[in-house]
Amino acid sequence: MAGYKLLIAIHASAGISAIFAFLLVFVELLHPREKSVNRAKIFSLLGTMLIFVSWLAGGYYYVTYYGSYIKPVIKEGPTPWIHGVIMETKEHVFLFLPFLSILASSIIFKFDANLLKNNKAKLSVSLLSALIVLIGLTIAAMGYLISAASRTTGLL
Amino acid sequence: MKLNIKSLNYATILTIFLIVVFTIWGELSKSFKTFLVNLTGHHWVTKGISSLVFFIIIYFLVLRFVKDRPDSISQVTYTVIVVILAGVIIFGFYLWHLFL
Repeated sequence: MAGYKLLIAIHASAGISAIFAFLLVFVELLHPREKSVNRAKIFSLLGTMLIFVSWLAGGYYYVTYYGSYIKPVIKEGPTPWIHGVIMETKEHVFLFLPFLSILASSIIFKFDANLLKNNKAKLSVSLLSALIVLIGLTIAAMGYLISAASRTTGLL
Repeated sequence: MKLNIKSLNYATILTIFLIVVFTIWGELSKSFKTFLVNLTGHHWVTKGISSLVFFIIIYFLVLRFVKDRPDSISQVTYTVIVVILAGVIIFGFYLWHLFL
């Protein structure tokens, strides 16, 4: 049980940290200066790695524990839609994030210092980072609902 | 390795499309879901691994035929639109599925 709680902790904290990392990318590009691009590179790489960590930890928990112990109880309980709509949406929309983060990071590394001069590239990275943050926050909120429903099972 | 942004955009858009198709098809077809389960032991793991593999394949495939151009960056807007639509479609599908 403690092992599964640790997995959720890693999944959630890595996810939230990834959101924060891409928020920092967005902020760095609002009024970029010389060192902004280097910082954006670091934050985007960190954010991408954290998304993969969150994916692995959450995925392992989902496959080995959630499906067998939590899901059946939520589906039989007063809020079956927490699994049927919220969890199902979360587990599939989450899969968008690794690719969005790879794309955003790649643009930063490709354009490098030219990001300061190329407004289209800068806007693209800002748009992608904002999207990653918004999806991440939505997923985090969904995770909170699922955790709350899980706690009513007494198994978490 | 020089990164090709146009190729990355195509790979991202097509991978998102694949995820949506696998998600909906998996719910509507028991045999397809069983096929996904049989590949790795869990349908979601198969979706994850296949989307990663697909992304890499598409990136290198498109790379062979498409040159990166300065205006390739504008395509990111399409990627963002596709992602938002895909999220709405998945959420809407499961909402509809709940009331079936």
